[in-house]
Amino acid sequence: MLNMLKKTAQAGIATALLAGTALANPYAEYEGTTLIVNFPAHPHYDAVMQILPEFTKETGIEVEVDQLPYLKMRERQTLELAQDEGEYDLIAYVVFSKADYVYADQLENLAKYFMNPKLSDPNYDADDLIDGYVYNIGFAGGGKGYLEGKTGSLFGIPYGSETSILGYRTDIFEKHGLEVPETYEEMLEIACKIPELEPGMGGVASRAASGHHASHAFLLHLAPMGGRVFDDNWNPIVNNAAGVEAANALKTIVDCGPEGATNFGFGEALGSFLNGDTAMFLDTTVVAGQINDPSKSQVVGKVDWALHPMGVRRGSQTGGFGIGIPANAENKEAAFLLMQWLTSKEGDKLVALAGGNPSRFSTHADADVNAKFPHMATFGEALKHADPDWRPIIPVWGKINADLGTTLSKVLTEDLDIQEALDGVAERTKAVMEEAGYYTWN
Amino acid sequence: MVDMALSSAAERAAKRRKAQRLNRLTPYMFMAPAAVIMAIALLYPLAYMIWGSFRAWDPSQTIGEAEFVGLKNYVTLWDDPNFRESLSVTLRFAFFVVTFELVIGVGLALLLDRNIRGMSMLRTLFILPMMIAPVVVGLMWRYMYHPTVGTFNRTLEGLGLPTVDWLGQHALMSVIIADIWQWTPFIFILSLAALQSLPRSALEAAKIDGATTWQQIWYIKLPLMMPVLIVTGLLRLIDAFKVLEVILVMTEGGPGLSTEILALRISRTATEFRELGVAAAMSNYLLLLLLALTLGMFAFTRWQEVRAAKVRISAEEDT
Amino acid sequence: MDQPYEKQNPAFYAVIALLVFMSVGPVLLMFVNSFKLDVDIISGASGLFFLPTIQNYETALCDVLPYEPDHIDFCSLKFGGALINSLIIALISTVLTLVIGCMGAYALVRFRFMGRDTVSLTTLMVRMVPPAVLLVPVFGLWNNEFCLDRDGLIGGTIRETFGGRGDVCLAGTHTGIIVIYVAMNLPFVIWILQSFIVQVPRSLEEAARVDGAGPFQVFFLVVLPLIKPGLAAAAIFTFRIAWNEYLLASALSDRNTKTVPILIVNNMSEFNVEWGVIMATGMLLAIPPIIFTLFASRQIITGMTAGAVKG
Repeated sequence: MLNMLKKTAQAGIATALLAGTALANPYAEYEGTTLIVNFPAHPHYDAVMQILPEFTKETGIEVEVDQLPYLKMRERQTLELAQDEGEYDLIAYVVFSKADYVYADQLENLAKYFMNPKLSDPNYDADDLIDGYVYNIGFAGGGKGYLEGKTGSLFGIPYGSETSILGYRTDIFEKHGLEVPETYEEMLEIACKIPELEPGMGGVASRAASGHHASHAFLLHLAPMGGRVFDDNWNPIVNNAAGVEAANALKTIVDCGPEGATNFGFGEALGSFLNGDTAMFLDTTVVAGQINDPSKSQVVGKVDWALHPMGVRRGSQTGGFGIGIPANAENKEAAFLLMQWLTSKEGDKLVALAGGNPSRFSTHADADVNAKFPHMATFGEALKHADPDWRPIIPVWGKINADLGTTLSKVLTEDLDIQEALDGVAERTKAVMEEAGYYTWN
Repeated sequence: MVDMALSSAAERAAKRRKAQRLNRLTPYMFMAPAAVIMAIALLYPLAYMIWGSFRAWDPSQTIGEAEFVGLKNYVTLWDDPNFRESLSVTLRFAFFVVTFELVIGVGLALLLDRNIRGMSMLRTLFILPMMIAPVVVGLMWRYMYHPTVGTFNRTLEGLGLPTVDWLGQHALMSVIIADIWQWTPFIFILSLAALQSLPRSALEAAKIDGATTWQQIWYIKLPLMMPVLIVTGLLRLIDAFKVLEVILVMTEGGPGLSTEILALRISRTATEFRELGVAAAMSNYLLLLLLALTLGMFAFTRWQEVRAAKVRISAEEDT
Repeated sequence: MDQPYEKQNPAFYAVIALLVFMSVGPVLLMFVNSFKLDVDIISGASGLFFLPTIQNYETALCDVLPYEPDHIDFCSLKFGGALINSLIIALISTVLTLVIGCMGAYALVRFRFMGRDTVSLTTLMVRMVPPAVLLVPVFGLWNNEFCLDRDGLIGGTIRETFGGRGDVCLAGTHTGIIVIYVAMNLPFVIWILQSFIVQVPRSLEEAARVDGAGPFQVFFLVVLPLIKPGLAAAAIFTFRIAWNEYLLASALSDRNTKTVPILIVNNMSEFNVEWGVIMATGMLLAIPPIIFTLFASRQIITGMTAGAVKG
């Protein structure tokens, strides 16, 4: 009898609680909505795919994901965003798309959503988001048009943010008594020593394939060497001493790299590291999850991480993706709710535990996350040196990037003179900038 | 009675008139669907492209919004070293591919033109590569060329030989090899068919006269096959300019521009650089090139027909 | 062919064996690898000693499998849907091309009419147009010009019945891709069928006409059955192009109309080169052409020699 009473009471309380939450549920209005989102095929978003069912369970909002390789994703978005009414409710965009989309008025300014008391979660804690990424990925209209600044505002939220980091094989370094490189000089020296010490093994796995990959690899070295693509007046200075030094570093790395390195895209570079064919890996932090996955990796437990080596300064890359709401989306408010949920403290932690790249300070410091991924502390340290201006984010960058990448690939494969090659890039870049109107005020 | 005959005659006349009108319309009715589809989806797009090539056209604009820039796109391209390199890659690719395929294909046909058991099975296996999707061919070869896990370098390593940087330093060669693998059978099958339809009498006569195998090939078989070979070669040449997927999957045009054939550059210009106008102008350059080739082919077949007719006439005069 | 088979020396057979190995080897390699785990593929030991697994196929087809394979966290590939799209597009465009094409070819062969030479010449000329050249205009037209206003009568009805957003455009629909495939294949089909129709004896057609058959009856009941071999050849070649084409489909399809080649290229994405799954998808795409080749090689060869074209 007593038992039964207890049960009834419990049931009663449960119903009351349910009713209460239902009343206060900010998601209720959007229950049953189906959001169509466009995400890249990328380790971070693979992790996102795993936590999305959780969102649907919590909110009743269905999510349909169109996952594409990120260059394809950009092509698709170019087309979709230009329509009067688009298919996508929420998109992930590559950092350098920010300029295009905001410039063409295709992304929603997020102010009105964060102002809306019905949508905005008071516990969101925006200050916890890593500053550099917010400015780099989500912010537009500030300094130079793409950096932090008083005239800017927010169009997206970093999600799947990356920085560069040096992965190295602890077993190889121990075996030959090598020190973990702190500077570029040390790294290049070790890189070229490895093939002698371990025949058949390459020094550093780096992407170098024609186009975006080669350009990316070069820019990775440019910032630590103290270089920039443009000076403050938009004059290309990619061909100055720092630029030449960065290109030299890239060439050394590829020359002392694994077999076939000149044609490596990101996948091949990572593959060669996972396969144990290279001793070091200098690229983005997204790979950490795969290194310890025995179905993909032969180097489980043999890899440790160090900061991106110094040239004349520290300057690791800032990159990755942000998520934003297209101006032509159908369910903008529900999309905002998804965006807020994904980037909230809870969401960020969930995705980090699923193997994604967190975008919050608190997640990097979180005990659970660190217990599962011990490298998170190093990654958090690396973020402090992330350089938001390592690559210009301007609408004409795509074209310059392609030219830079093709020319560098020629340097690597056809022995084109570096100075000459970079002079050519600078000259063509100047023309592109001229045409785009960057020298109007000079 | 007379009335009836009259009326039926009139009826018949009317029927005939109707049938004639129908007759006159019939060919158009048969032709119409094909003509309409080709007009909408081939000719109009081509015209649209020519129009678009005079504009600074971005994928987010409709063509009407794009600014008219005259011949600027064509001039820019002409001065663009990347375009020129891509053009030269295309021409080199086409030249090597067609040459090697002709030599190997004809050689194989001459070798295998024998009456052996299982010939039809053999032909079946040979046409397999042609039927498989270019995308799949690309990925198969990309795997085989892989610097470390690929079949070729593994085999070389196994034999103790130095490995080759297939898709790096020797990318164009590797791409050419893949195309040769896929399309040599085409030439082989066609030349085999041509060989087997050669007049037996000429060959018998040569044999009786004591001609060696080489002499037979050189002086009888090859000259007789020549018309077929030239047409086949030209068809392959035109097709060589259409290749895109295999290279896209294998190298994406790299390293540098070393395998960036025009078709690939057009597609990159349109989607990656987002310059539809320039891509359209590039397409027009490619079309002009192909037009020249096609006209050459026409001229050749026409010339051949004329020559054949002349030969026939002179032969008739002789008898 | 009634002569006895000639005896050849062993070196000759060795050459033949080598050739067969060269042409079939890569395909076999793909087949074998599609049953290996990535670890097995990468770690070498390229021999035949491995535990075959259908895991790669499960990964590829996860969206149409009745059960959820254990080894994947979520279904990312959606290959089954693409396979269905590819089938729809390839089959419909093949049928349409054949019907429209043989009518056109018949008109060109059997009738003299105004504009015949122009049509004939145009057909020949457009055969050389590479798909890459069509990319820009087709992309522009299909997305921006060949559209129905969503507020209009037909456009509005379509939006109401099928849902979706924005103006109703050819891009992103099966129809859009089918139209361009039909157009691309027509010149070739017309060209190849002409040579078959020429061989149909006129007397048969005239006999039918005397019996009171109209031109369409003559065409469908008399001519078509007689050119069956030609139709088969043309069908295989058309299907092959529509089934294998990548470039235009990738420019025109949206997330619901992706075909298999697009998926394969997308899946070669840079973050995970999963050779096993790639090989499995490649194999699935290659199966229909392989079947055709094995069972209809005679038609293919007839077609090739008749048209002397790859299309």
